[in-house]
Amino acid sequence: MPAIASHDSILAIKSEKSGEIARSNGDSTPQKRRLRSDAAAEQNKSPTSTPMKWTSPRRSLNSSPNTPINGIEKSSDEKLVTRKSPVKKRLFESYVEQMSAVKEALHVSTAPSTVVCREEEQKRVLEFCKKHLEQEKAGSLYVCGCPGTGKSLSMDKIKQHLLDWAKEEGFQVPDLLAINCTSLTNTSEIFSKIIFKIQGRKKINGSTSPLQHLQNLYSQKQQSSGSKMMLIVADELDYLITRDRAVLHDLFMLTTFSFSRFILIGIANAIDLADRFLPRLQSLNCKPLVVTFRAYSKDQIIRILQERLMALPYIVFQPQALELCARKVAAASGDMRKALSVCRSAIEVLDAELRESASKINSTSVEKGSFDQQAAPALEFFNSQANYIFGAIRLHIYLFLVRVDHMAVALSNTFKSPVVDTIQSLPQHQQIILCSAVKFFRRGKKDTTVGELNKSYMEICKTSLIPPVGILEFSSMCRVLNDQGLLKLGQSREDKLKRVTLKIDESDITFALQVWIKPSKFSAFMEFVSFGTVFNNFALKLEING
Amino acid sequence: MGRKNPASQKALNLLRNRLCNPNFIFKPLSDSPDSNYSKLKFLVSSSVTEACNNSILLLGPRGSGKIAVLELVLGDLLLEYPDTLSVIMLNGLLHSDDNCAIKEIARQLCMEHNLMFSKMASFDDNSQFMIAMLRECGLAHKTIIFVLKEFDLFAQGKQRLLYSLLDAMQSVTSQAVVIGVSCRLDADQLLEKRVRSRFSHRKLLFLPPCKEELQRLLEHILSLPMDSSLPRDYAVEFNGKIKNILADERFKEIINTYLNSDSTVNHLLRFLFQAVSYMDLESGFLSLENFKTALPNFQRQPKLESIKDCSILELYILVCMKRLEVKEQNSYNFNSVMKEYKSIHDSFKTSDYYARSVCLRAFEHLLQRELICFTDNRGYSHLVEFRPVKLLISYVELHHGLKSYRSCPAILLKLMER
Repeated sequence: MPAIASHDSILAIKSEKSGEIARSNGDSTPQKRRLRSDAAAEQNKSPTSTPMKWTSPRRSLNSSPNTPINGIEKSSDEKLVTRKSPVKKRLFESYVEQMSAVKEALHVSTAPSTVVCREEEQKRVLEFCKKHLEQEKAGSLYVCGCPGTGKSLSMDKIKQHLLDWAKEEGFQVPDLLAINCTSLTNTSEIFSKIIFKIQGRKKINGSTSPLQHLQNLYSQKQQSSGSKMMLIVADELDYLITRDRAVLHDLFMLTTFSFSRFILIGIANAIDLADRFLPRLQSLNCKPLVVTFRAYSKDQIIRILQERLMALPYIVFQPQALELCARKVAAASGDMRKALSVCRSAIEVLDAELRESASKINSTSVEKGSFDQQAAPALEFFNSQANYIFGAIRLHIYLFLVRVDHMAVALSNTFKSPVVDTIQSLPQHQQIILCSAVKFFRRGKKDTTVGELNKSYMEICKTSLIPPVGILEFSSMCRVLNDQGLLKLGQSREDKLKRVTLKIDESDITFALQVWIKPSKFSAFMEFVSFGTVFNNFALKLEING
Repeated sequence: MGRKNPASQKALNLLRNRLCNPNFIFKPLSDSPDSNYSKLKFLVSSSVTEACNNSILLLGPRGSGKIAVLELVLGDLLLEYPDTLSVIMLNGLLHSDDNCAIKEIARQLCMEHNLMFSKMASFDDNSQFMIAMLRECGLAHKTIIFVLKEFDLFAQGKQRLLYSLLDAMQSVTSQAVVIGVSCRLDADQLLEKRVRSRFSHRKLLFLPPCKEELQRLLEHILSLPMDSSLPRDYAVEFNGKIKNILADERFKEIINTYLNSDSTVNHLLRFLFQAVSYMDLESGFLSLENFKTALPNFQRQPKLESIKDCSILELYILVCMKRLEVKEQNSYNFNSVMKEYKSIHDSFKTSDYYARSVCLRAFEHLLQRELICFTDNRGYSHLVEFRPVKLLISYVELHHGLKSYRSCPAILLKLMER
């Protein structure tokens, strides 16, 4: 659990900001837009410039909601009792802006100041670069790992560190070239980009291609000694893979020339890219160093999330909720972006719940007529809650925590596939078509024609006493199911000869239609498709998928 | 011509206008805070106010109102935040190629901000322009909303456009929202793993309306407003009649039968339009009969209708062909049909025995009406009598058609049942 260290400085900034906003807004409570320039200006202010004007009651020293908060309670009691009404107004505005602050802290684009859980890998890469920079030798490095494991983020930090270190140690600061290979229209353009960086002009003389030019340059001794080293970071390296693998090969071969001045860092997802696509380098004994960024484990994910949330002076997530999120994401893919996205949508779930209960309270208060009619409904909610604050701050904090049930809703929104919901809301005849497909394919064949499926469909309709639709409507319903990705229709000149296969799992269909209760007409054809073990299978599948 | 006629014409026009206006239709479905409209609006407006990037997918069968709700949300937001939004629309059918797409984005950005667009700009130039514009708009606190219709078509090929858009949203400098609209439920499974990792996995599912919502929707559409230019007592009487119709069990039965094959809102609107057009202008009120007459128009079976227009001889020929197919004769021609016809006549002593030339005429009629066709594609040099043919109508449909024929000879029905 994080220990919230000296939060006085942070609180000073927070209270200042909320003080400003409260002053400017007065009675109205619209959603104030957080401008980026505000945030930037804030960071430049010195933290101890102004003393605390107003203590925010939303504070906690410990993470558990049950332990009493002794010291702060007494002092804030005196301060807060004297300023009852401004506190209530500022409470609402501070809630709104605190929510947006939390969401911003959890956004993927907010780069954290320190990159945790990647110290080992960063050290390796940094050592490699430092060694080559010192010896003025060329070398190549290959960074690999699943998406969302912090590769590009770490490379950015390493670039910065390397430049700082080179300046400190007195070496020549290397040139930096960062390319994302998806932006190249032609794979051999990468060489012209390198030349452009070295020589500052795109046009090269004569008939030599950029690649040949580079090769010529680095096979002879430099005229001007002491030319700079260059650090090239090539992101999404697998876009350079062509059929004859020439470009990738040539790029790495450039580092093997005796007078070459590159340090090449390639980033991609495939672990065995170096082995599969660069076999000749092994024979020349200059295979690139491979640094693997493993997928994040549950503990690493929790650490990273807490690191991000530590910048805020209050607790937003219940620790069990964070653990649930980390467990699910680590079991699924170990992708940090997904974890951040799930946390943000959990906050939105909490927000929606609070707004809903606020509007409910407003509707009941309108009936009672006891509250001030002019204030915004949410403000009324906070008004009513403010009475709790002085008595029990811990209750107030608990109301705004993201709990395990919010996190569970957010997780199911992210990981659940919409298939079961869609099947349950399909019109009757389309469901019958899916059932007839399941029944047909159970006999062993995996695909059939529309005509055969129609026969199966008519059988089911006859046994369950539902009037079937004609072949025209049947084929248009098959087309609708094809559009939605439930069936797959082939091409054919004649409608009846198009080949049909099921694209979703049989057990999904049986699960969806079993659970859903409908009038007894369907019980007859449900008999065709229901069997007992399906429920267990589907539940098992849910467990496996995390 | 009664006194009510001008009012009833006006009422008819009003109803028809409503049925063609998606904004009007989807308003009542969007009122609850749980609806897709409010969720989408909350997401986009919080992205605008908090200056963060987001991406979302709208999924649902065709005609369930995804684009309509999106237009409603965008319209409302453009009113609320007039200068801080710009919307870029792309369609997967037109712009799935990366070059086309980037060019279109650059063109729309130029139009929004009154810049000159050059058609000669290369792919590189256009993508640099897009990144620069994203950065500038981020600094100026303007949000760009990218709407990608037919999202699953953008996921073909190398997915470069999706990657560059979603990657641009990972940086702090840009302020954008990417909204994908697709009818495929597994649209996000089609994405490459890099692109899927950058996509924020929010999905809004557009499901067909449930029974209560349907009831509310029907009342909302078909009730005349009190404050329009129509005479008040006429409107009151009209609405009273509508309420009665909606509560009637038979009406519910009709709607259920209709929606059994396709329950999207669009499909329902088509039915209502037809029913409303049958409104009796004399009385000026809708009745249950209008809905009943509209129903068969949507449940047409063209081949059965063709059978109804056939002559008895043509029916004989069809039954003969069916018998030949059942006997496993895979290719047969007119001559074999005539043999079968003769054998039926011999065994059952029917009175309908016609000469060969008359039968050939009937055969050609069937060919023209596409109830049968030739199975070979060449062979125009051969005579009609020698080319192999096959039935284009299934046995079930044929049987059905014979049963509903006005004066079908019993012998044919007996032959079909064998």
